[in-house]
Amino acid sequence: MPKIKKKRVGFRIDMTPMVDVAMLLLTFFMMTTQFRPEEATAIDLPASNAPFKMPETDIMVVTVNKEGRVFLGVDSQVLRAQLFGEANKLRPSMEVDRKSLHDLLIQARISNPKLRTLVKGDKEAPYGPLEDILDILRQVKITRFNLVTELEKA
Amino acid sequence: MSAVESGGDAKSHGRGGKKHKKKRRLSIRIDMTPMVDVAFLLLTFFMLTTYFSKPQTMELNLPPDEKSQVEVAESNLLTLRVAPDGFVFWNVGTEPAHYIEMKELKKFLEDKNKENPKLITLLKIDREGKYRMMIKMMDVINIAKVTRFSLAPMNEYDKRQIQKARAA
Repeated sequence: MPKIKKKRVGFRIDMTPMVDVAMLLLTFFMMTTQFRPEEATAIDLPASNAPFKMPETDIMVVTVNKEGRVFLGVDSQVLRAQLFGEANKLRPSMEVDRKSLHDLLIQARISNPKLRTLVKGDKEAPYGPLEDILDILRQVKITRFNLVTELEKA
Repeated sequence: MSAVESGGDAKSHGRGGKKHKKKRRLSIRIDMTPMVDVAFLLLTFFMLTTYFSKPQTMELNLPPDEKSQVEVAESNLLTLRVAPDGFVFWNVGTEPAHYIEMKELKKFLEDKNKENPKLITLLKIDREGKYRMMIKMMDVINIAKVTRFSLAPMNEYDKRQIQKARAA
């Protein structure tokens, strides 16, 4: 008897639709993506029900990390070069002490009066430095500012 | 996988007449696999790095000048003091302080403000406390729609008040 050779069924799947969808998603993500802004320190935001979205441009961020160290960052490189010197313009934020924070805030506001101030504290940060910052803000007459929080998960 | 055929099928196998020599159409197949691989790689990359939830912010207005003191009747002043361990104590005027649970705070504030529309809330947080406590308190104050409130530093007197309330 002749050997019955099993015919291998070569099958092909048409991948075209899948690839189309993948490309579509890729374009979508490429268009909408916003990279996480660089941080000098890791900040774990506290949760609140505050309704406002964080502004993106013309911002000045005073960051307080877990240990209570204070950092100041601005979003434009030009202003960063002005405040912290040409060498530091690529760094997102610089550690500052209370005294220089006062002067830098004034300087920044003079360079760009539209700057909005954000205070970003780690949820485990001690309240002491925050109180000092609020005090400094009052001294430099920044009476309107925003505290950055995360939306509370209900 | 995902190959694109162009140029149609190679039909021109007809080795017919010598007169009409059909030009042989070449069927081109491009192997798209590497491109698709790269596309998927990029897709995963963008999916992982993108983030949608933008942080929320809480707007805060401070009085412009510290010197501009406002006289407030004692009975209109509600002081909330937050101890370093997160316990909240309240009192009106110079009455002794009482402990209150975080959960009840919202209702408490609403009731108090309904009782006395002129009430001013003063929030004092211990410097040793956590920033989280401040945000929590401000959140409750915002939710309870208390618009007349201010932040003040905690002094020794406040600490003694908390001590007394704890002992009681």
